[in-house]
Amino acid sequence: MDSSNDEALDIIITNVVATFRTRCHLNLRTIALEGTNVIYKPEVGKVLMKLRKPTITASIWSSGKIICTGATSEDEAKLGARRLARCLQKLGFKVRFSAFKVVNVLAVCSMPFAIHLIDFTKNNRPIASYEPELHPAATYRIKNLKATIQVFSTGSLTVTGPNVQNVATAVEQVYPLLFEVRKPICK
Amino acid sequence: MSRAGATCPSCGSSNIVDDELYSQAQLVCVDCGTVVSEGVLASDPVGGSDVSYSRTTAVAKKPCPNLIKGLQRVRALCRILRVKSEIEDLSQTYYSQAYQHVSFINVTLHKKEVLAGCCVLVSCRLLNWPITMGTISCLLDADPDLVGVIYKEMVKILNIEAPIVNLTDVIATHIQEYKISSADVSGDLAVNSQDLTKRAVALVELAADAWIVTGRRPIPIMMAAIYLAWQSLKPTKQRLKFSLDKFCQLAKVKKHQPAAKRITEIKEMLCKLGKEIPWVRETVSPENVARQVEDILQYRFALLRRALRTHEEALLDECQASCQDSPAEEAVLSHSSEPVDQTPNAPSLEQCEMNAEREPGDEHENLCTEPQSDTQESQAPAPNWGKRLLFVPPCVIHPKRRRMEQPDLKDVTGDEEISDSEIDSYIRTPQETRDFARTQKILSLSESDK
Repeated sequence: MDSSNDEALDIIITNVVATFRTRCHLNLRTIALEGTNVIYKPEVGKVLMKLRKPTITASIWSSGKIICTGATSEDEAKLGARRLARCLQKLGFKVRFSAFKVVNVLAVCSMPFAIHLIDFTKNNRPIASYEPELHPAATYRIKNLKATIQVFSTGSLTVTGPNVQNVATAVEQVYPLLFEVRKPICK
Repeated sequence: MSRAGATCPSCGSSNIVDDELYSQAQLVCVDCGTVVSEGVLASDPVGGSDVSYSRTTAVAKKPCPNLIKGLQRVRALCRILRVKSEIEDLSQTYYSQAYQHVSFINVTLHKKEVLAGCCVLVSCRLLNWPITMGTISCLLDADPDLVGVIYKEMVKILNIEAPIVNLTDVIATHIQEYKISSADVSGDLAVNSQDLTKRAVALVELAADAWIVTGRRPIPIMMAAIYLAWQSLKPTKQRLKFSLDKFCQLAKVKKHQPAAKRITEIKEMLCKLGKEIPWVRETVSPENVARQVEDILQYRFALLRRALRTHEEALLDECQASCQDSPAEEAVLSHSSEPVDQTPNAPSLEQCEMNAEREPGDEHENLCTEPQSDTQESQAPAPNWGKRLLFVPPCVIHPKRRRMEQPDLKDVTGDEEISDSEIDSYIRTPQETRDFARTQKILSLSESDK
């Protein structure tokens, strides 16, 4: 019962979050004034800058730490981050692109069968937890991969992990457990 | 006073007196004035005395008054819910354990009250007393999300594995809140609570098969089921005219907004089944379906079979009309439709009666199956499983539109060249900057004028 059956499962990465540092102090008011597509939030102390291609939203803090969200792959996140750093360089700051790290990857996946969540939780206590009154999905946390999988009864999965490889491994690990408790609704 | 037996080392005199200079004990020779010996300036040991301040000032430890109040609140909640005494004892034990834990000792009193409710909830669950989180949050008058957060944390700290509540068990206790027995309401609108319970439970089980219950909050579903059960037990014109608002006022229950949506969904499902009843002449619509509910529930398995068959035939016709590729496709479809009717339904009847404790959603697996799923899939990949099955969850009927993948970014490596012109599009020219600053100033001035 292994995951490479007739159809491969499509794991679609919907969001990649990455951070990097510019190693210099950034003046947020200058960025807000001279940059296009920026939103200045003085109450929080950050500037949101949106890039068109790749579609990335970055939170820029005055300490020089920047968080990029919205990319659909790790390489895209890196490209977007570098583009952003170049943009800040052109605005006049002495930016050095450093400490780039992908922090979180969010992916969705769809099983070709529906899942019986109560049996799934019973078989996998205490790694799996399910509170139907609070959230319709069962949560399965894999400690060594640091990945969290939310399993819905329609067969959809939402996986979050520190990088794309962990996410793929997590789906492979959980597939046989889900296969045992499937409801035979074909897709 | 002189010390006997001591002699001064320098002059040999035996006239040594105890002289305390600044509280330091000293032995001094009177004749020559040498200090023979001296004591320690402070008599406390180095590093502070052996006994700590809190120990010297300690009184007998009294139990925390908030803990006592919390335990009383737990007891009060148990009395209100009229649960067994074992549940009361268990919840008190859990409360005292959780209270002392570091993550709950310093929280606000409101949260401690919510913690009391969560302890009662978990004890009820462990000892098989059906109760929902919604009931607890109503009793405590607290935000249900807060109750959820505290419940999860408490379960993690105390390491409890509580079984999940079955909706059908909860309905019986939930119905007690509704005041529509003959004691409270005038004759024509009154109803026997046992009949109501049975009818509502059957409706909820049927709704579970149709993907209406999965993933939804339980209380609006129960409200919808009770409303429809009440209407269908005596489908007079007066009862059919009663809207959900009026029903809730009659039963003296607070109306839940999502219940209206659930009613629509359940009625839709009942219409789909009601259409298959052979002796009904008029068209079944959501308005008059309440009259057919009794028959639908009585013959639900047969009606479900018929509805599935009709649906498949309709799909088959569509298939034949639209895609004329492979006759094999149709053969496979017609093959799978027959075993569906015959095989699962006989065992499903026994299973449904036996497994009363399993979640109602299980019945779906017995009734709506297409066993040769794999062959059908590989030969005729349908666009969306929502169209192929009769009852599907709403998320499949209205699927999320995924962001279209941009093809030019497929081979991104992250280390490409970034051209200057591209970056310039993100930076304002100096003229634009001046205009922007000016506009901002004007706007802020006009706002401050207001």
